[in-house]
Amino acid sequence: MNITPLSPDFGGEVSGIDLTRPLTPSQVAAIEAGMDRFAVLVFHEQHFDDDTQLAFSRNFGELEISSGGEMARPEERRLKLEMADISNLDRNGAMRAKDDTVRLGSLGNRLWHSDASFRAVPAKYSLLSARVVPGSGGNTEFADMRASYEALDAATQAEIEDLVTEHSNVYSREVIGFPKEAYGAHNQDKLRPVRHRLVRTHPVTGRKSLYLSAHIGSIVGWPVPEARAFIRDLTEHATQRQFVHAHVWRPWDLVIWDNRTTMHRARRYDDLREVRDMRRSTIRGDAMTAPQQEAA
Amino acid sequence: MQIAPVTASFVGEVSGIDISAPLSSAQVAAIEAGMDRYAILVFHDQKLTDEQQCAFSRNFGELEVTLYGQMMKPSERRGPPEIGTITNLDAVGQFRARDDNRRMYGLGNRLWHSDASFRAVGAGYSLLSARVVPRVGGNTEYADMRAAYDALDDKTKAEVEDLVTEHSIAFSRGVLGFDDYGEGNADKVLPVRHRLVRTHPVTGRKSLFLSAHIGGIVGWPVPEARAFIRDLTEQATQPEFRYAHQWRVNDLVMWDNRMTMHRARRYHDLQEARDLRRTSIKGTGLTAEQAPALAAA
Repeated sequence: MNITPLSPDFGGEVSGIDLTRPLTPSQVAAIEAGMDRFAVLVFHEQHFDDDTQLAFSRNFGELEISSGGEMARPEERRLKLEMADISNLDRNGAMRAKDDTVRLGSLGNRLWHSDASFRAVPAKYSLLSARVVPGSGGNTEFADMRASYEALDAATQAEIEDLVTEHSNVYSREVIGFPKEAYGAHNQDKLRPVRHRLVRTHPVTGRKSLYLSAHIGSIVGWPVPEARAFIRDLTEHATQRQFVHAHVWRPWDLVIWDNRTTMHRARRYDDLREVRDMRRSTIRGDAMTAPQQEAA
Repeated sequence: MQIAPVTASFVGEVSGIDISAPLSSAQVAAIEAGMDRYAILVFHDQKLTDEQQCAFSRNFGELEVTLYGQMMKPSERRGPPEIGTITNLDAVGQFRARDDNRRMYGLGNRLWHSDASFRAVGAGYSLLSARVVPRVGGNTEYADMRAAYDALDDKTKAEVEDLVTEHSIAFSRGVLGFDDYGEGNADKVLPVRHRLVRTHPVTGRKSLFLSAHIGGIVGWPVPEARAFIRDLTEQATQPEFRYAHQWRVNDLVMWDNRMTMHRARRYHDLQEARDLRRTSIKGTGLTAEQAPALAAA
């Protein structure tokens, strides 16, 4: 297995390994070491089905249930609960209509975010496998939250060191006008905000990073408008082009990213006319980043 | 009077004129020609009273009353209603508290916007005069919406050509979690419609009419409209289309809201004073037909 850096320490392209077959512990360790260094790894020509993708993913920890799957009624689900459905297809394989609720909610993925930052124990890796890709558009962009942290001036680093933010799916959707009621009465309990540190330290490398996400709606102790204006400014800083890598998908690409040290977002494509079918498995993190507020 | 380009191609620096004194019609015409060419003009060392600023501004059209001035009770106002006070000081010169309602409202100015795009006629020029500036921070950043339009690919130009957007102050504030306008002001936050692509009446150049006040595109589902407007705004405010103005006391900057967006940047507003005065010239025409119910309101 060989890793070619896409930049000195952000993004690597991996060759010489077939991830659909069982891996040895040293292969798993080599991938983890690559993740610690590069934060995003790209593998081409990995012909997964859902079972082989889930089996490969389990090498890195416990799988998370997808929030979309969890919130969808069983009869609406296209995929297993552990598999997030990143597609424009409904259960019958038809393209979703312009005003389809699932389509409109998923537009929130076009905002910079870290997967499952709305959970008290947020995600570690996400693994996204491309099964069908559109003729143009639909890139996924990644931003390096370690480099963007390091580029902050010392005054800002000191200001944010101990800040705690509140994350909820409600906020990233509300900002584009998708109301929380649209998730249905049965899902309202899943939308309560959770707290996270704004500055995280990677457990292996010890590098600090900005833990930003479109799911952030406030900073503990700050007036809400001031918090949101500040988070917008930080997000703009952190997603400047020198920190961003755009992945142009080919069928059977698999990309793994570390949600603790990166943000990502989907880019537009002609989703009313072209199919894009991606499957995401997600590894649970191992700890909360901040104490949670007790239930009211 | 001379105008020389500064770092950004859409900003001209004007020298050799005292704008506190009455101007000749030739001087006014020269400034207007400069505005058409550059979109933003910077004048240094212009010590102005509010009355002088209003008099200078009236050379370019009818003055607009600020929305916040309209929403305030008369007893809370500082100075004439045509002067927008862009400041962190209250009526008695004290710093506004961290959770002050006016401060919260003002934070919306940190989003890229075009002044008064929430009015059916929009704004023409805005003129901002710096009376007190903080030592660090508090820049105003500008972005050139003509260059941003020109840089779009042909497919996107065709897609946006006839789009009509809906603007309201409630949207730019709602995004930041602010919705407390006080009683009796609900009618002032109703959305108005504008074309997304405007053509300058004098130069004929096209530009993107973007603003944080946009909350919808007519005929589009709201989340799709907002995601698209965010993408366009990001593209239109890339570093190559931007100019950051670092204020000195007695600077006056005038910009054309029909061709630019701008935003305020952060400063230590709980510790340092910043007092800028803004006048705005009324826009001269609708850019789109209004929704029937709104036009009647």
